[in-house]
Amino acid sequence: MTTDPHGDAPAVPLLAVRAIEKSFPGVRALSGVSFDAARGEVHALLGENGAGKSTLIKIVSGVFPPDRGEVLVNGKQVDLARPDDARRAGIATIYQELLLFPELTVAENIFMGHAPRAGLGRIDWRAMHEKTNALLASLEIHDLQADRVVGSLSVGNRQRVEILRALSQDARILIMDEPTAALTEYDVTRLFDIVRRLKARGVAVIYISHRLDEIFAIADRVTVLRDGTHVATKRVIDTDAAELVQLMVGRRIESLFPKMTVPIGQPVLEVKDLERRPLTKNVSFTVRAGEIVGLSGLVGSGRSELAQTIFGVTPADNGEIRISGQQVNIRSPAQARSLGIAYVPEDRGTQGLVRPMTVRENFSLAALGKVAFGGFIDRGAERKLAGDGIKRFAVKTSSLEQIVGKLSGGNQQKIVLGKWLANEPKLLILDEPTRGIDVGAKAEIHRLMGELAAQGLAILMISSELPEVLGMSDRVLVMREGRIVAEFSREEATQQSIGAAMMGSHENAEKAA
Amino acid sequence: MSEIPLPHTAKRLVPWWLLRHETMLAVILLIALIVLGGLNSRFLTLDNLLNQGRLTTEVGLIALPMTFIIITGGIDLSVGSIVGLCAILLGYSWKVFGLPLPLAICFSLLVGAAAGFLNGIVITRVKVPPLIMTIATLALYRGLAEGISQARSVRGYPEWFYFIGQENLFGVPAQLWLLLIAIVVTAIVLDRTTFGRTLYAIGNNETAARFSGLPVDRVKLIIYTLSGLMAGLSACVLVSRVTTTRSDMGIGYELDVIAAVVLGGTSIFGGVGTIWGTVVGLAMIQLLKNGLALTGVKGDATIVVIGTVLILSTLVASSLQRRREGV
Repeated sequence: MTTDPHGDAPAVPLLAVRAIEKSFPGVRALSGVSFDAARGEVHALLGENGAGKSTLIKIVSGVFPPDRGEVLVNGKQVDLARPDDARRAGIATIYQELLLFPELTVAENIFMGHAPRAGLGRIDWRAMHEKTNALLASLEIHDLQADRVVGSLSVGNRQRVEILRALSQDARILIMDEPTAALTEYDVTRLFDIVRRLKARGVAVIYISHRLDEIFAIADRVTVLRDGTHVATKRVIDTDAAELVQLMVGRRIESLFPKMTVPIGQPVLEVKDLERRPLTKNVSFTVRAGEIVGLSGLVGSGRSELAQTIFGVTPADNGEIRISGQQVNIRSPAQARSLGIAYVPEDRGTQGLVRPMTVRENFSLAALGKVAFGGFIDRGAERKLAGDGIKRFAVKTSSLEQIVGKLSGGNQQKIVLGKWLANEPKLLILDEPTRGIDVGAKAEIHRLMGELAAQGLAILMISSELPEVLGMSDRVLVMREGRIVAEFSREEATQQSIGAAMMGSHENAEKAA
Repeated sequence: MSEIPLPHTAKRLVPWWLLRHETMLAVILLIALIVLGGLNSRFLTLDNLLNQGRLTTEVGLIALPMTFIIITGGIDLSVGSIVGLCAILLGYSWKVFGLPLPLAICFSLLVGAAAGFLNGIVITRVKVPPLIMTIATLALYRGLAEGISQARSVRGYPEWFYFIGQENLFGVPAQLWLLLIAIVVTAIVLDRTTFGRTLYAIGNNETAARFSGLPVDRVKLIIYTLSGLMAGLSACVLVSRVTTTRSDMGIGYELDVIAAVVLGGTSIFGGVGTIWGTVVGLAMIQLLKNGLALTGVKGDATIVVIGTVLILSTLVASSLQRRREGV
């Protein structure tokens, strides 16, 4: 049964999912979803948060069974009651949170649970290392050694270990859930290289991503899900970004980056020679009222650390911070908050929200002083605060008493934004404001940012997405290794100029070598 | 797509308050009361119940701040040793230093607060996990108590001092009033104030609480200090009730206290819990002990029953938790 990997879907696809239905108490997660993937095909799954992508891949990887419908591998129906069944059927899944043992070596991680055996049940270490080296060689990975401890590896290398682990188990179907979410651009190109090699070997790759450009770069076909239903399956060459967005959200998104030109006012934040070793070195810049300043840089260049130093999480060792002209010495987030600084952190789940608590409680968390009198919380005032926030930011929630962790990523992000704006800040620091949220919510957050700037708020936006930086910013600062290395006006900023400043020329030379 | 219900519209078959841990526990308590009352006519009498209230006060006073601490995801294992240390210092400062008894009481309360403050300062500044810090001070404070007392007990307190531990006020044991006031105050603080809200936020997500500008370290310092202070108060009540001071007082209290708090539905992982739950947990343990003893069950069998009840309640709690989270 050989098929040409470059042709259209063959008669018997490697993986076929037929009319899957799945309900959770009170939610219809999937209703009759079908799709298939051929040998050597990269099939992208696209959809807003809550569209059912995660449920679908969890069914295919045996995390939970479907209510109705079937999964076929090579034309044969398989019963995927447990993750182990999926592994046996040749299906491997690489989740966003990599499931590795940081204290063990690369080889041990790859062969965890299926190590080659010598006599008496002993592990054959030599065979394990040889097999690991063979796997590394087969994907032409030369900067990873079998005996390295995984905890010391970069995110990109850890992901490669997970891929090798899947291959060591003879996976023929590889599911990747947002594999590039935490990768640097360099690692993304390497990941694509590996995906192309897997494709050439006849592995079917199910690729889940929010980033449309990646889908066009790597996928053969794309299936769009919306509200648990199958909307369309298209060949990538037959479609374009605008059509996919429309299929995903069921409406047209007018403009992704509606930054209005507004009058720029007085400086709100002035930073001079700010230092906090090891990742903030000699940083100076200014953000003015009504201005959106984009802060660009590679992962690890010190952008979030700079933001957290300004916000008082890791107070500065040296240097000057002025808020509206007044010199201040910020030692804690509480103090930063009282000075009118708001920080929407990069990691919603651990830094931005208290997920097990309710919408009402999260809205008031940073503004308790506004709804409490003499330390006693006025429930009525608190409900009003949260209710106003929900209306203003169009948060989709059943009630104020809804547990925040159950909302979609976009709605969670709106709550983080809302809880900080409840304090009426002068300076808003946004750290990856649209990471991991769907296109519709992203557009809304961009629209809000534009409005806030128009109302005279000063905004410092950290973002790893260049189109977002280019679209939203009045000015762009670029950080590398803890320093600000370049500044561009809106007119000067291009993908190339920012990219070059981010990498630094000597790093480029290294990579070419 | 409009016919697809959203996740949060899940229908509830039973009202939420019935599914609450505290309510379930209160129902179990009621059933146990009726059964034990049926088995023994002396059990369900006002005199007996009030007397049980007297006996549970010392543990109860400590269980209230412990509820705060466990809600933040912390623990304080040193409370039993603080009771011992405060009891010894109460007797010692009165008898040996010759302090007037009221001053000696203040001194012992102050020592309790200082002992808790030391726990809190090391936990928040040096970032030593509460479990380890308070295991260390469990040994340290007990060692101090034994070293100071040199196995001598102090007796012969003035008559008025026994009022709090042995007399009645308006027909109710005097120390029970103390406990009732403490219950009402802590319940209001936990449920209605920004301080209480901060405790829940810390327990559910300490990083987010910090990033929201909540005074995380200050609040932690306050609750560990409060825990020490209440252990000191508990020591005074205990000494007044048993009329003597010995260095082994309060041994094992930490386990009774934590058992009552956890039985009352406070999650040992933090973020969840109420004062009412702790109160029901306290009542449950004390009344089971007493009811079983009156019915002729031996002491060791009573401990087995209490252990079993604790395991069962944990099972109920975790199944409720899963249902809430919709897993």
